[in-house]
Amino acid sequence: MAVQVREHEHVETHGPPPRRGWRRWTAGGWLRVLWVVPLSFAFATGLVIGARKGFGYEPLWDLQVLLTAWLVIVPLGFLVAIGGFDYWAYWVSGRPTRPEDHSGHGARSWKDYFRVNTDHKVIGIQYLVTTIFFFLAAGLMAMFMRAELARPGMQFVDNNTFNGLFSVHASLMIFLFVIPAFAGLGNFVIPLMIGAPDMAFPRLNALSYWLLPIAGFIMLSSYVIPDGGAFAAGWTNYTPLAVQQPVGNVFFQMAVQWAGASSIMTALNFLVTIITMRAPGMSFWRLPLLVWANFATSTLVVVATPFIAGSQFFILFDRVLHTHFFTPGPEGGYVIAYQHIFWFYSHPAVYIMMLPGFGIASEVIAVFARKPIFGYRLMALSLMAILILGFSVWAHHMFVSGMSSWLRIPMMVTTMLIAVPTGIKVFSWLATLWEGRIHFKTPMLFALGFVSMFVIGGLSGIYLGSIPVDIHASDTYFVVAHIHYVLFGGSLFTIFAGIYYWFPKMTGRMYNEFLGKLHFWCTFIGFNVTFFPMHWLGLQGMPRRVSDYADRFGNLNFVISIASFFLGASTVIFVYNMVVSWRRGAPAPSNPWRALTLEWQVSSPPPIFNFDEIPQVVGSPYEYGVRGARHAVMNGDRAEAPEPEKVTVH
Amino acid sequence: MVLVGVAVGGALALVAILIPWLPPADSTQAHKVDDVYWFVTIICMAIFALVAGVSVYSVWKFRAGPEDLDDGSPIHGHTGLEVVWTAIPAALVTAISIYSGVVLTKMEEIPKDHRIVQVSGQQFTWSFQYPEAKVTSGQLTLPVNQPVELKLSARDVIHSFWVPEWRVKKDAVPGIETNVIVTPTKVGTFTVICTELCGLGHAAMRAKAVVMTQQGFDAWLRLQKRLATLGGSAQGKTLFTQQCGTCHRLSDAGTTGEVGPDLDKVLPSKSADFIRESIVNPNAEIAPGFRPGVMPQDFKDKLSTQQLDSLVEYLLKTAGKA
Repeated sequence: MAVQVREHEHVETHGPPPRRGWRRWTAGGWLRVLWVVPLSFAFATGLVIGARKGFGYEPLWDLQVLLTAWLVIVPLGFLVAIGGFDYWAYWVSGRPTRPEDHSGHGARSWKDYFRVNTDHKVIGIQYLVTTIFFFLAAGLMAMFMRAELARPGMQFVDNNTFNGLFSVHASLMIFLFVIPAFAGLGNFVIPLMIGAPDMAFPRLNALSYWLLPIAGFIMLSSYVIPDGGAFAAGWTNYTPLAVQQPVGNVFFQMAVQWAGASSIMTALNFLVTIITMRAPGMSFWRLPLLVWANFATSTLVVVATPFIAGSQFFILFDRVLHTHFFTPGPEGGYVIAYQHIFWFYSHPAVYIMMLPGFGIASEVIAVFARKPIFGYRLMALSLMAILILGFSVWAHHMFVSGMSSWLRIPMMVTTMLIAVPTGIKVFSWLATLWEGRIHFKTPMLFALGFVSMFVIGGLSGIYLGSIPVDIHASDTYFVVAHIHYVLFGGSLFTIFAGIYYWFPKMTGRMYNEFLGKLHFWCTFIGFNVTFFPMHWLGLQGMPRRVSDYADRFGNLNFVISIASFFLGASTVIFVYNMVVSWRRGAPAPSNPWRALTLEWQVSSPPPIFNFDEIPQVVGSPYEYGVRGARHAVMNGDRAEAPEPEKVTVH
Repeated sequence: MVLVGVAVGGALALVAILIPWLPPADSTQAHKVDDVYWFVTIICMAIFALVAGVSVYSVWKFRAGPEDLDDGSPIHGHTGLEVVWTAIPAALVTAISIYSGVVLTKMEEIPKDHRIVQVSGQQFTWSFQYPEAKVTSGQLTLPVNQPVELKLSARDVIHSFWVPEWRVKKDAVPGIETNVIVTPTKVGTFTVICTELCGLGHAAMRAKAVVMTQQGFDAWLRLQKRLATLGGSAQGKTLFTQQCGTCHRLSDAGTTGEVGPDLDKVLPSKSADFIRESIVNPNAEIAPGFRPGVMPQDFKDKLSTQQLDSLVEYLLKTAGKA
């Protein structure tokens, strides 16, 4: 390993000479995008029109068929043009592939963030900035929804726009924010944490990032479709409504394919990286819990994501090819089959959106409580238990769907059991605080906020897991409250914790602590006033996904809307803090939090290949307060190092 | 720590009891659901009080000063504690599962002599058919204290039947038949709410559910039978309230829907042929300010010629004239 790293040092500046003149237009990059994307657009259009003319279909100009072709071919053209496939194209065509070419690795100026880059640290930041953009867009849609819901009756938007708002809001938040934001944090941190120079497949990593803006662009651009507007069947896109919807629905089906392909590629990369690229001495029982969490998450992604891809392809076929997978009739489609396939992904997706957050919370709580994480092995094993149980609970979303009634009780039992490993994690975090020395920096505030909010989300999950209560509460605002306590109070709080925690490492600058704390308290208060009353609304009789509601819910909805605007405004503090601190923040030391994990043992930001020499791991990453304990030996200072000892965890 | 826990627990208990979280329970099923709800609530309050007690106490007691560079106690774990907080939650959720399973079975017991009502959902209206009387109504009418099985079906997309006071809900799914068992225990008027997103008129898809005494119900059923045989514009009015009123305003029928055009405004001066065409082929001409494709296009299959005639006759006579 060490030898390989030294090789990197002297080839770092080598690369192909920059192309000159007209040849700049054929090199991978934005100039090539300028002409390849219109070309692929024309090609897709010609293909459809030509085929329809050839087969004699009327009318020639069918928007839905054209959209399907465009949304497959144009993104591929974009990926080719930006240079995502260049290396493989060279290899396939037998041209020299320059295996030691690192010209596309690392960022020397801001421009390097806008091209295909193979450095996991650059990709991590590309991911995070992109996902925060979509987070703000989706948050703005929530503001429009709350404005409409502030009073009963119709105020600002019509029903079609409203249905589009909540559908696109949820889809962006799930597929373009929570899942890829965790992938971005993992991308930046995992190779550093396990002592690797980069991910196992850097070119695949670059490609998986560039699929993401495509998916987000497709979801947003469904708003510009003149005929019917954005997709409006909810992010669950249940058939037959999805098939009956205007053409905007195709945007959802195709965006999910691109976002899903991106997640699968990243997850494969994480798995191979974690399994094969750990530094010497980094056994599985010495892995930081964030790495464990991403190991479990990536397994979930690889196994589950193809199911949502399949479900959306079948809907696309039902729409475009007039198959009858899910539409009832003489050809024998079965409506509820869609829901089974959809939730077979989308329930594990809840854990895809939660387990990395568990990992972040474990890192942050141990560091800021200055204590070893309580019950390390059980913490890791409970992640694996959630991974396995997570595949056996999907139909609890379908207790009132009319599915086979015998399936409900077993699904309730597994749903209830999954509370046990989740409980273990919460209790272990609390025990980690016990007799600690707790420093309330912004990441710790968000981590503690996460634990308390996630407990509420978990407990309301027990209500929904019990079939009799679920029969009353499903598809109401109680569910809206529950998922926001889990995904906002859970996932989003840990994403904020992670961004603040690693901000010094990523940018080499400190964020503003006062603004960070202000952001936390505004978010925490705004969040609770917005979402807690929704439990009551749901139990009392307000269904979800409605633009209008009974007059008696008017006052409470007004309060909720005001609180949600406050919550939305708190995000401005976050964005301001990030932008200003990145440009003008105080320079960050290499280890501002006095943490033991490996990413803090290198400079901020880290060197281009992470470690001058691959570290030797000698102990647990959480030995705070243990005299003389070390996690790793850096840069060959083995003289001071104690003998590698066997890790003893209670 | 115990004090904090007890304080949080006490506050939670007050919040749980003083705020009326659940609507009135007006069916035998509702009382069973509420029992489970309270069972779960007591367990959840205890767990939340414990968690809040430990975290508030820890955050206060173990906070570090700004210049404090010491570490906490190097506690790596405690097998006994870990066994306890694995075993006790496992026992609690098992208890909830068993109790919920037993209640579910009791809720869905079908008594021998129960009434059957066919419930049909379509965009964006409910209709209720009483097979033994051959009567269809846009209002669900049931006798009090009598078990009834609602057989749910859907004509176009998935809908979901919910009456909050009865605590029963089930999706109406195209292609299959699902059912709801309910025994209303209180005379009164309730609202049937569609809880599955079904398109543009989803928020407006409501029906009235009226629970009557046995005598009142019998009289209602006789009246409906007679109305069904009348034909003409009286039948047209019944059809209109059932099928069209959710989306269209018409003062004669007393409907206030806003999904589609206000018929009092757009229909006067129109011919019978225009009205007929607008029902069977809604996209033929679109009123200003509305989109094509919103109104279901299958009324030509759903309505018989005679029903269509009476609907057109009714609209011709009443639109804009009340």
